[in-house]
Amino acid sequence: MTKTISRRDFLKISAASVGALAVGQMLPPMVAKAAKESGVLNAAGDGVISTMCEMCVWRCGVLAKIKDGRVVKLDGNPEHPHSNGNLCPRGQSGLMNTYDPDRVLTPLIRVGKRGEGKFREASWEEALDLVASKMTEIKNKYGAEAMVFSSTHNLSQPLFENLLYAFGSPNYGTQRSLCFNAMIVANTMTYGMEEPARIYDDKLKYILLTGRNLLEAISTSETSDLSHAIDRGAKVVYLDPRYTKTASKATEWLPIKPGNDLAFHLALLHIIIGEKLYNRSFVEKNTVGFDELKKEVSRYTPEWAAALTGITAETIARIAHEFADAAPHALAHNGWRTSNFVNSFHTQRAISILNALIGNWDIVLTESGGEESGALGAPPQPAYPRVSALRLDGVPWKYPVVPFKIGVFQELRDNIVSGDPYQAHGWFISRQNPVMSIPDRSKTLEAFGKLDFIVTVDIVLNDTAWFSDVVLPEASYLERYDPLLPFGDKVFLRQPVIEPQGQAKSALWIYKQLGERLGLSDYFQYEDEEDYIRQQLKPLGVTLEEVKAKGYAEAPETPHAGESAEKRWNTPSGKIELFSDTLAKVGFSGVPTWDEPPQPAEGQFYLLTGKVAQSTQFGTQNNQLLNKYSDEPRMWINAQVAAKLDLATDDWVEVTSEVGQIHIPVLVTQAIRSDCVFMTPGYGHLSKGLTTAYGVGASDSVLHVTYTDPISGGQALSQTFVTVKKVEDESSAETLKPLYSGE
Amino acid sequence: MAKYGFLIDASRCIDCRACLVACSVENNVPMKSTRIWIKDSGVTGEFPNLERHTAPFHCMHCIDPSCVSACTVGALQKNEDGIITYDNEACIGCRYCMYACPFEVPHFEWDQQFALITKCDLCVSRLGDGEAEPACAATCPTDAIQFGKREDMLAMAHNRIKDESSRYVDHVFGEHENGGTSTFYISPVPFEQLGFPSTETMESPAHFNRIATEEGTPIIAVGAAIGMTGIYLAIEHNQKKNGTDKIEHVETKHDSAGKE
Repeated sequence: MTKTISRRDFLKISAASVGALAVGQMLPPMVAKAAKESGVLNAAGDGVISTMCEMCVWRCGVLAKIKDGRVVKLDGNPEHPHSNGNLCPRGQSGLMNTYDPDRVLTPLIRVGKRGEGKFREASWEEALDLVASKMTEIKNKYGAEAMVFSSTHNLSQPLFENLLYAFGSPNYGTQRSLCFNAMIVANTMTYGMEEPARIYDDKLKYILLTGRNLLEAISTSETSDLSHAIDRGAKVVYLDPRYTKTASKATEWLPIKPGNDLAFHLALLHIIIGEKLYNRSFVEKNTVGFDELKKEVSRYTPEWAAALTGITAETIARIAHEFADAAPHALAHNGWRTSNFVNSFHTQRAISILNALIGNWDIVLTESGGEESGALGAPPQPAYPRVSALRLDGVPWKYPVVPFKIGVFQELRDNIVSGDPYQAHGWFISRQNPVMSIPDRSKTLEAFGKLDFIVTVDIVLNDTAWFSDVVLPEASYLERYDPLLPFGDKVFLRQPVIEPQGQAKSALWIYKQLGERLGLSDYFQYEDEEDYIRQQLKPLGVTLEEVKAKGYAEAPETPHAGESAEKRWNTPSGKIELFSDTLAKVGFSGVPTWDEPPQPAEGQFYLLTGKVAQSTQFGTQNNQLLNKYSDEPRMWINAQVAAKLDLATDDWVEVTSEVGQIHIPVLVTQAIRSDCVFMTPGYGHLSKGLTTAYGVGASDSVLHVTYTDPISGGQALSQTFVTVKKVEDESSAETLKPLYSGE
Repeated sequence: MAKYGFLIDASRCIDCRACLVACSVENNVPMKSTRIWIKDSGVTGEFPNLERHTAPFHCMHCIDPSCVSACTVGALQKNEDGIITYDNEACIGCRYCMYACPFEVPHFEWDQQFALITKCDLCVSRLGDGEAEPACAATCPTDAIQFGKREDMLAMAHNRIKDESSRYVDHVFGEHENGGTSTFYISPVPFEQLGFPSTETMESPAHFNRIATEEGTPIIAVGAAIGMTGIYLAIEHNQKKNGTDKIEHVETKHDSAGKE
C-alpha cells in the first residue's frame, strides 16, 4: 500500500549522491534557491534556515538544517515561543509532508465523473483561466453570493479574504465551528477577546482541564508548560469520559458523563459564590452582572450536579474549595473538544467566569496578542464592494453573536443542500477538506452535487480535491513564503527551505493570479511573495534579507485595549461580563444557565472523537512517517460492555448512527466510560489519491449527526449516538445514504 | 574523555512519539524499521482507578557491551565516549548481536533478504556536527529524555528519586544492569511493569560471550544466516498475506487494554 524505496535501493542512490542522508524514502532535498541566495549557508553549503511549521495551526519556529546544500533535518527553534527548541511528532515529520509521493505537481482538470478520480494535467494558464471564467459565469448568472469560499485558518488568509470579499461574496467558511466556536464566542462575550493567553509560571498551583487533552492534542509550548507544571507539583484535575494520556498524568481523573460539564461548572460557581470564596475586590472593580449570576447559580447545588455528572457532591465541593484556595494561581482551562453539545456555549462561559471570579487576570490569564499588527505595512487596496446578500451559514440572521470571520460551516453546507435562502453554484476551497471534516459526509457530498463548479487548492489530492473539478497544486509550507506572523514584540517569517515540487505555487501567487483574471488586481498590489513581505516590513525599517537570516524582526507591539485607556476589556461595558447584555438583547440567557443535553437511548452509546499526537485533523494521515508511528485506528469500547457484546480487541463491529454506518475493529479497554465509544477522526479517506491513508480505518464524519449550538454556532460533535453490533466479516460498510453519484 | 549518557524519566513521557519520528529523520531509518520503541505498561487497574506508564526505549550503550563482544567482524564498536557504533559496511548480517544483547535492542530489517541491523548510535554524526543533543532528546517536549555527561545523568536520576520519593520507585535502571550502561531510566512503577527485561539475574554476560565468540561464532553465524533467510521469507509471506506494512513500535506489557 505504502510506496517505499527499500533501504538497499536507497543506499544505492545515496552512495551516488555525496553527503548526508535525510528521510529514508527520498533523496535529501536540495535547499531552495532563495535561501541559498540569502547568505545563511557557508561555502560548503552548510547552515540553518529559520522558518515556521504548518503541520498544525500552532506554528512552531523551525530550524531547517542544511548540509552540503541539502535539507537533512527540521528542529524546533529555541528562540521561538511556540517551540522553545522542541517539535512534536507532526513537526518532526515535516519533510515527509513536502516529499509525500502523492503530491499534486501540476494543475489538474477533471475528465471523469466527480469522484472517479480521473483528471488530466493542465498548465497554470489553462487552469486559472478556467477557474476565473467559471467564477465569472456564476457571478454573472446568479450573483457573486452564489460562489462559496472556505479555507482553514492560515497565514495567507488575508489574501484569501481579499479574493472572496473583492469578488463580492459574503459566503466564507472556516473550520472553527467544527472545533471551538463555543470557546471563542464565550470568551468574546465575557472578555472581549477570542482566547486569553495562559501563563504557566512557577506559582501556578491548580489546573482544571475540561476535556482539554493537552498531552495528546499537542500545542508544543503549552504541552511542555503543562508537563513542567506537573513536574513542579501543580495539581491537575482532568474531566474526560476517556482515560487519555493527559488523564494518566493528572492528579485526579473524573470520568464525567458527556454533555454534563456544564452542570459541574455551574455547581462550582454555586459554591464559590454561595460560600463567598471569590475575590470580592476584583469582582467589584472589574466585572459586571455579579448579582444576576449569583441569582442564577443559586439553584445549582453540588447534589444536583452529582446526579447529572456522575461525580459526587463531595468531590465537586472539594474541587471548588481547592480551586478557590489556590487562587489566584489557579487556572480553569477552556477545553474544546471532548464534550461538545448544544449546551457547550454555556459550559465555556461558566469556565471563563470561574477564572474571573478568583481574580486570576494578568496572573494566569492575560490579553492575547492576536495575529494582526498595526506596526506592519500592507499593500494598498480599495475598500471591498458592499454586499447585501445574506450569508448562507446563518450569520448573523440565525446566529446573531457568531463573528463573521468564524461562521457556521456545517450550516453553510446544509444550506447549499437546501438552496435556502438561495442556491449556491460554486465552491472555492483552499487548504481544507470539508468532505472529511463536516459532520454527515453523505450530506456534504450531496451538497457537492448541487454545485456547478468546485475548485480545491491543496498539496495532495485530498478527499475534497478528489471530488473537485479543478485542483490547484499549492507549494508546501517548506517551499513557500507566507505573510508575516506577529507574535508579542516580534514578527516571524515563513520562508522557502526547499524549491517547490513540480509546478506547485504559493497561495500568495495563486490568489494574485486569480485576482488579476477576475479584474481584482487592485486588491493584490504586490509583484511577488518577497515584494509582499517587503511592503509589510517597510514601516519597521528592516530589510527582508535581515529577516530571512534571523527568521524574525523586532516590531513594537500593537497597544491592547487594556493598555490604551480605562477600558481593559473589549466588551460593551469595558469590563468582564458575568452577565452579557449583548446576549440578553438577542434573546439568549445573559448568564450561564442549565440546558439539559440529550442522552442516548437504551443500547446506544455516545460517539466521542478526539485528537492523537501523531495526526492533525484530516490532513496528515497520508504522511508516511506519521503513518509509521500511528496506532491502528480502532474504536474504543469499555471492557465490561465488550464482554456483554462478546467482543475482543480486533473484532469487527458495525457502528450505526442516524446518518451513517461504518465497520471498524474495536479496542477493548478499561479506559472509557461504559456509555461511550471513541474514534480517532481523520481516517476512512475516500480519495484513492492518498495512497498511504486510503483504506485505513473508518470515518467519524460518516456517523456524525449535524447539531448546532444555537448561540455559538459550534457543531455538537459529541451529541451523536450510535449502536454497535458485532460482525463477522471485515468488509467496509456502505453508508446508509448512497455516496454522491452525480456528474 | 567524558562519557555520554541519557536520563529517561517515565513519569514525564507522554507517548507522543516525537522522538521516534525525529530519530527516523535524523538517521535515515528505513520506513519498516525503528531504533526507538515505546515501552507501554498498557492501561491497568479497574475503572476508574486506572494507571498507564510509557517510556521510549533504545540502545542502552553498555559499559561492557555484549553485542560488541559477540560481533565477529568488528561491525559494532565501542567508542571512548561510550557510544556503541555500528558499521553497515562491515556487518555480515549474522544477527549474533541480537542474541547477545540482554535488552533486545539490535533489530534486523527482517523484510530485507540481506539484513542489516538497526540500532541507536546516539546520533553520532549529529553530535559530530556540533549539535548538543541527539535528535530524540533535542525534540522531547516534556524533557522526558535528557542527555549529557554520564555521571551527571546518573546523579540527576538519584537526585530526582531522593527529592520525590513518592513519584519514583527507588531504582535507576541501567546503573547496574548488564554491568552498567550509559542510559538511565527512572519510573513511577517497577520496570517489569513497563515491560523492561528482568534485571534480577542480569549480570554482565560479556565475558561469556567472548568465549562463545572465539570458539563458536563463525559456525553459529553461518547457520544463523541460513536460518534467518527462512525467517525473512516467512515474514515476507505473512506481510503479503496480511497486507500490513506497519512496524511494531509500541510494546505493550498487558495485551488486554491500552494499546490504542
